Amino acid sequence: MVFAHGFGCDQNMWRFVWPAFAEEYRIVLFDHVGCGGSDLRAYDIGKYASLEGYADDVIAICRELDLTHSIFVGHSVSAMIGAIASIQVPELFDELIMIGPSPRYIDDDDYTGGFSEAQVHELLEFLDDNHMGWSQAMAPVIMGNPDRPELGQELANSFCMTDPEIAKRFARVTFLSDNRADLDRVTARALVLQCHEDVIAPPAVGAYVHQRVSNSAFVLLNATGHCPNLSAPEETILAMKIFLAGERSAAQNVGP
Amino acid sequence: MNQLIEDLEDLFDNAPCGYVSTGPGGHIIMANRIFADWLGRARSDIIGRRFQDFLNIAGKMYYETHFAPLMRMQGFFHEVALDLVRADGSKLPVLVNAVERRDEKGALSFVRITIFNASDRRRYERELLEARRCAEKANAELQNLNRTLEERIAEAVEARMKSEAALRQAQKMEAVGQLTGGIAHDFNNMLAVVFSALNLLERRLAKGEDVSHFIAAAKDGAGRAAALTQRLLAFSRQQALAPEPICANQMVAGMSDLLHHTLGEMVRLETVLAEDLWQVLADKNVLENVVLNLAINARDAMPHGGRLVIETANSHLDEAYGAEHDVKPGQYVMVAVTDTGVGMSPEVMAKAFDPFFTTKEPGRGTGLGLSQVFGFVKQSEGHITVNSALGRGTSITIYLPRYSGAPEARNHSEAQMPVCGNGSETVLVVEDDEQVLTLTAQMLRDLGYHVVEARCGEEALGALSAVPAIGLLFTDVVMPDINGLRLAEAALERRPDLKILFTTGYSRDAVVHNRLLDPGVNLLQKPASLEQLAAKVRTLLDG
Repeated sequence: MVFAHGFGCDQNMWRFVWPAFAEEYRIVLFDHVGCGGSDLRAYDIGKYASLEGYADDVIAICRELDLTHSIFVGHSVSAMIGAIASIQVPELFDELIMIGPSPRYIDDDDYTGGFSEAQVHELLEFLDDNHMGWSQAMAPVIMGNPDRPELGQELANSFCMTDPEIAKRFARVTFLSDNRADLDRVTARALVLQCHEDVIAPPAVGAYVHQRVSNSAFVLLNATGHCPNLSAPEETILAMKIFLAGERSAAQNVGP
Repeated sequence: MNQLIEDLEDLFDNAPCGYVSTGPGGHIIMANRIFADWLGRARSDIIGRRFQDFLNIAGKMYYETHFAPLMRMQGFFHEVALDLVRADGSKLPVLVNAVERRDEKGALSFVRITIFNASDRRRYERELLEARRCAEKANAELQNLNRTLEERIAEAVEARMKSEAALRQAQKMEAVGQLTGGIAHDFNNMLAVVFSALNLLERRLAKGEDVSHFIAAAKDGAGRAAALTQRLLAFSRQQALAPEPICANQMVAGMSDLLHHTLGEMVRLETVLAEDLWQVLADKNVLENVVLNLAINARDAMPHGGRLVIETANSHLDEAYGAEHDVKPGQYVMVAVTDTGVGMSPEVMAKAFDPFFTTKEPGRGTGLGLSQVFGFVKQSEGHITVNSALGRGTSITIYLPRYSGAPEARNHSEAQMPVCGNGSETVLVVEDDEQVLTLTAQMLRDLGYHVVEARCGEEALGALSAVPAIGLLFTDVVMPDINGLRLAEAALERRPDLKILFTTGYSRDAVVHNRLLDPGVNLLQKPASLEQLAAKVRTLLDG
């Protein structure tokens, strides 16, 4: 079972989830290049200008670990990264678990992505503009942490290590990508986990993914926000286990 | 108790920061008045919403992707920079702290969010960022400057050298101007003598009077003009020297009368002449002129009289001296001219050999004297030194290379009387200047020779074939078609027994010039007197 984190996090975000599967599965956790504890020198602007670059890394990890017919769990942008990897090398993953996926964040004619083009550009401008406000303000949060030094160290290896320039580029590729066409080509059995009140990936987007991916289940969680793996790990784990057990009917009962 | 609650409520509402509490589901359950005032909203508008609903789009995004996960993982976050969006759409920069409050069982009770107005701080940050950008830019420029430093030094040096070259050129032009003025002055005087003599000659001839006085005056003026041009050429090291073996002692002794006459009664002349003095190979006339020049300078340096010593000696310049003074080591004959005059300051001494430099008042000297000496010495591969100090006299020492060949031939007394032709000899005169040609031909005819005239090399070769009687080729060196040397070669191929006499004012061409100095080459310096011409022609035809 391969866990891939989304924009803004690293593998720490799976800390409440993966232990629930550790007995049954071999657990693979990693940080995308440019995030967390990855080697920042490996960051290549050209390669990571599209999600395919990240998908290539996922494929390389699977090849290195000799993984086939495994389970991919992707949060947010990594849900799409896993989908792309599974299209390129279908035998890698039998199941795709997509948490808060979005193939396209910007609204289109008859498509609701949740953001207007202007809003996404405002976001990217904020990144360019708020360099210090962002990275400097984050540093004391992580490095300070006088109350729980053990966490500070752990987190120092994640957030505060994120290079602001790479974070900007990752945001750009995340929020400007359009991978809607890839959804039709996904052959793995898929689970779409959708939260209530998710401003990043609204329920309509989750429903769209479910509709386009032929062999998929859709679960609308009670959790709110964008990170049910953190805010509602139990509910998330349960939904995943039901799906993996092949209890499709149970999963669909929760769906729309 | 009621008072305490009232007090705490007042503190809560009017604290210098915004307070918001959210329930376990993330919805706002309490907000203070300050926060509501900042947003410009009624508290009822705020309760039940989520904190991120009041952020701008980027804030919403980052709240969800970064800060919510962070708080979930570590239970709090501190000083996160976000922008609140007010009811009127304007933005308020804030710093946000948040902390989870959990009950005894560890379940989340609520999240306390504290919001600080960060308008000033954000402005400082922007200014700081701008300052950093400027500093980085300045640093980059500085590094770039350092990288190109060598290049720029090279450029500066080159520019400096250019400007120095321009300055030297300007100084040269100034000197040329000075020289031209001096020459014009001298020439005008000389020409005035010639013109007035000729005018008077013309009148007196018409009246049938004695004209010998005017002829002498005109010859004198022209002679002085010729001497001036000779000095100019000497300075430019372009004079055609006619070196011959000379004994300097004999030469100095021979100049005795001339020197006494020139120096006047106030200056006592002493000569210290070494025994067994080596010979030198030099142009005797020029060397005499050099000694005379130095004597005149010495005289002028002793306005109240003094002593002039002319000294000769054999001398050896060793390797070390040669390397230091840029002169070939070896045996030299030294000729030193020493006076007891005013001497020279170091500044004057440094410029003593500069062309056109003179301490004499305008019109009295062109500044060519010492530079002419210098030019002659260098052209003769010799060496010259100056010793002088103010009030302690001056000593100028010339070293000329020793000549190891046959001893000095003869004195030139034969040139005193014109030596004539026998009326049967034919001379071919080649000269591209029509007037000079006519005059030279006339002089030779007067001397009793048949003359064939040619205006260029081609014409000369034609004449050589046509007139077998030609015994002597008298040719100019510098001519438009082929030069005199080439003509001589071609002529000798046709007539190996032909005698050759060159004449030239000067030659710019160093190769030509040097070949004129070869042993066996006969050269008559322009302008030559009738006597000199007669002597040379006779000597060659008889040789």
